[in-house]
Amino acid sequence: MKRRSFLSWGTAGLVALWSAVGVSLGAVVRFLTPSVFYEPPQNFKIGNPADFSFGPPTFLAEEKIFVFRDREKGFAVASAVCTHLGCTVGYFQSDERFHCPCHGSVFGSDGTVQHGPAPRPLEWFEVTLARDGQLRVDKDHAVPASYRLMV
Amino acid sequence: MNLIRDAWQSIIRRDPLSTDKGKSELVFLNVWLHIHPAKVKKENLKVKHTFYLGFITFFLFLILVTTGVALMFYYRPDAPHAYQDMKDLQFVVYLGSFLRNMHRWAAHGMVICVFLHMCRVFYTGSYKRPRQFNWVIGVFLFLLTLGLSFTGYLLPWDQLAFWAITVGTNIGSYAPLVGGRIRELLLGGHTVGESALLRFYVLHVAVLPAVATLLTMVHFWRVRKDGGLSRPVWKLKEAKSAELVTIGAPGNGAPLAVVPASKDKTYGLMEVVTGKPIFETVSMEEEEDTVFSYPYAFFREGVALLVTVASVMAVSLFWQAPLEELANPAKTPNPAKAPWYFLGLQELVSHSALLGGVIVPTLAVLALIAIPYIDLTPSRRPADRKWAIRAFTLFVVVNVVLIIVGTFFRGPGWALVPPWVHIVGAE
Amino acid sequence: MERRLPQFFFVLSLIVLALMLAAVWQAGTPAWKTYQQEFHRLEAAGEPNAAAKSDVMNAALVIRQDLLPGLQRVDRCTTCHLGVEDPTMKNAPQPFTFHTNLAPHIPAKFGCTVCHGGQGLATDKLNAHGTVPFWQEPLLPKEYIRASCGRCHKEGEVPGVPELTDGRRLFETQGCRGCHKLNGVGGTIGPDLTEEGAIRRFPEWLERHFLDPNAVSRNSPMPNFHFTKEQARALTFYMLSLTSEQMGTYYSSVRLIPSAGYGRELFIEKNCIACHNIGGVGAKSGPDLSGVTKQHSPGWLDEQLVNPQMIYPGSIMPAYDLETNARKAIVAFMASATAEDAQSILSARTRPLTPQDAAIEAGKQSFARFGCVGCHGLQLQGGVPNPNSQGGEVPSLLHASDDYTKEEVIKIIQNGKAPPVEDTAKPAPPLYMPQWKSVLTDEDIHRIADYLWSLQKKKDAW
Repeated sequence: MKRRSFLSWGTAGLVALWSAVGVSLGAVVRFLTPSVFYEPPQNFKIGNPADFSFGPPTFLAEEKIFVFRDREKGFAVASAVCTHLGCTVGYFQSDERFHCPCHGSVFGSDGTVQHGPAPRPLEWFEVTLARDGQLRVDKDHAVPASYRLMV
Repeated sequence: MNLIRDAWQSIIRRDPLSTDKGKSELVFLNVWLHIHPAKVKKENLKVKHTFYLGFITFFLFLILVTTGVALMFYYRPDAPHAYQDMKDLQFVVYLGSFLRNMHRWAAHGMVICVFLHMCRVFYTGSYKRPRQFNWVIGVFLFLLTLGLSFTGYLLPWDQLAFWAITVGTNIGSYAPLVGGRIRELLLGGHTVGESALLRFYVLHVAVLPAVATLLTMVHFWRVRKDGGLSRPVWKLKEAKSAELVTIGAPGNGAPLAVVPASKDKTYGLMEVVTGKPIFETVSMEEEEDTVFSYPYAFFREGVALLVTVASVMAVSLFWQAPLEELANPAKTPNPAKAPWYFLGLQELVSHSALLGGVIVPTLAVLALIAIPYIDLTPSRRPADRKWAIRAFTLFVVVNVVLIIVGTFFRGPGWALVPPWVHIVGAE
Repeated sequence: MERRLPQFFFVLSLIVLALMLAAVWQAGTPAWKTYQQEFHRLEAAGEPNAAAKSDVMNAALVIRQDLLPGLQRVDRCTTCHLGVEDPTMKNAPQPFTFHTNLAPHIPAKFGCTVCHGGQGLATDKLNAHGTVPFWQEPLLPKEYIRASCGRCHKEGEVPGVPELTDGRRLFETQGCRGCHKLNGVGGTIGPDLTEEGAIRRFPEWLERHFLDPNAVSRNSPMPNFHFTKEQARALTFYMLSLTSEQMGTYYSSVRLIPSAGYGRELFIEKNCIACHNIGGVGAKSGPDLSGVTKQHSPGWLDEQLVNPQMIYPGSIMPAYDLETNARKAIVAFMASATAEDAQSILSARTRPLTPQDAAIEAGKQSFARFGCVGCHGLQLQGGVPNPNSQGGEVPSLLHASDDYTKEEVIKIIQNGKAPPVEDTAKPAPPLYMPQWKSVLTDEDIHRIADYLWSLQKKKDAW
């Protein structure tokens, strides 16, 4: 038996085998990548404009957002997730600021950092009026703090 | 540069291959090469001698571990999420149904292969001295395989799973005194429910695989230490078989000379005993029959692995693993059948609960374990062990026939219905 | 053999590689991706400029799903049925066609399978439409889909589905329960029908069965009732609506059904009849509500219910704290309410309506709204602990008229009152009656007093 042919066929076989292993590894990564999410969607409707009161913002716990409604300026939606380490901030009517319970970050009512370790202001999300007259929030779409939707 | 060389050296650990020491270390220091003997007998590599059934069973186990771990990423063992996760695997998870199919078909394949492997070992008389206890380990591995398959059967939480486990665990509950208690322990309740699902899951993914892995290691180790794969019967020479010397084998042959260890010197293991190496004694003509494990055994095993993997993949590409409706304790399918490998028992239970649920399974397991201790004839030639072969063949045939009857010939109400007859209104 | 072994190895490796690629290809090309690409092409055709076109064409292909956690349902239908909520897809071919008359049953809250059937978790046509073994809810044929309305709307008339009402009536009047069990009540000769709509979803079979049981089920003990075609259809509708899945409960638990029935309950609960009348039946201090839905838009009515002062400054109507769907339900009830409804509501009252009722009702609202209930209790029973006050707790208001005159009570509300102290050595009681004159108008205070007195009278009457 010739050693050379033994090696060359074997080598070709190994190449094919390692390719199969490579394809499988790629497939495993895709297998582990979630294709559906069992969590609140990033883009959702929050209800009719009439559902929201004027004055202090309405907190939607599941969506983790604050909905501001102003008589003159209209609607704005702020994220309730602290930019420091992701705790949920609370709005205090007493000083009209957001306070993070974890590490003491304080944000002004426009979302800017006034105190504490938070590196960035709170995010503001785009809020639009859907075709059926409901407010639609898109968490994938950040907007400047000055953004307002007048209904 | 030195750093890289040192790192490489720490991985391969051997001297350069240009030296003899390096060449031998290539084998000794590599775990995959070292669990093989340096040389194997040519005869043992022939497919028709073993059909590589042990290897195939082990490879199926590897496939099951790999695909099983993958599936665990998407499986929640609680009702009804378990069923929903099956649907997710089927419909949204990339390669999900393919992996589930592989797991399912490999599991069935392993039950079959482990049984065939047992038959092969029996018919070649390979359980005889010094391999008696390895046969017993093998019987336990067979039972573990059934246990793994049975516990996995419940996990999809569909009608098929639910009722198969209900029926299967009820067969076990016929055992006197302890039967009901064992069932309660297994199910964590009196009926198959959420706690049963959790218990079966833990057994399936942690307890049983760990035990099976451990026993498999011991099984392999003993095969290796008992002189490798047993030789084909017709190659045995009566005179020689008595001369074989094997470590751990009691009796026959002169005791090995042991030199008392010197007190002012440290010894490596190899220096403790003198004389011939204490592996199997090989005569010159046998020497000619052997080949190096690498590449001859390796490539063959590789081919067996590839054939196994390719077969399972091919089957999984074209046949979907079954998934029926969500488990519904209020609606019993007619007939409700245990997993197919227990249908022989279910068939017996339908005639006599005591016979099928207690006597036969207990006796069968005890008899299997006792085989090497009852069958004391040293000869492995079929002509010398006619009765043993007849008895075992009867066991195999009855088992297979009962399973076939239970699987294909039992219709609604457990009535005898040939598979080619369609029962109107059976749905 | 030895020589061919490496060849073997090579061929087998190649086979494994090919099988792996085949599996990857199979997993990577599901049918829904083709549908989404096709939909993107359709959308792009409607876009005016090239940039928008390419944006649409390059949109990610993802599985969409609507989660209905209360029902254990996950509907992925909109993965392929992409135009369901897009009116511009009105004339698009299936599976992209726009769903007319969808509101208020939007997929995000209701999914699709609740009405249509099918397998929501599936992402290929055959499985999703449920026409596969081991799926009990295949897609309902078009003409029977309305039967599903009855799965949530279990009582009363369902608008647009007279068949359901007829079917229910037939079921109860023809003595079906003599043989069939439904929700635990009935005979055992025929099958239990509690799950009928969930397990036997073959409308054609059901309909033929009602016309002649023996035609589809040989030797059926069920007699031929000689139903007309319409009756058979009505019963089929009713059967299809039967399920033990608690859909109505789930949806009403998330307050998604603003039904007229719910509106009627609220109308009674909020005592609207104390001020309003319907077609002249009821109180006269508020406007007649019959036809009010024709005079005003739903949006106007909604605003009115949110805050009456916004629309009519100085309106005496209190602002009720009602949720969106509760408001919609009341509007729905008002749209259909008649003088007979008002009469039946009135006759169900424990006490006849008096002209005082409007003021009392307003007082009750103020009492609740300004937090009086916090200390005095919803039933005015008092009982909140107040250490070191006489009696040790906030007094009940049920007997206010026995101890005080109305004027005295009004004074107390206006100026507040410190509770009488039990032991002067101990710290003063933490709770006290605050001053209300700066918060409440005299009118409000008078109404609250009226409310307190009204309860007292009711007690005397017993």
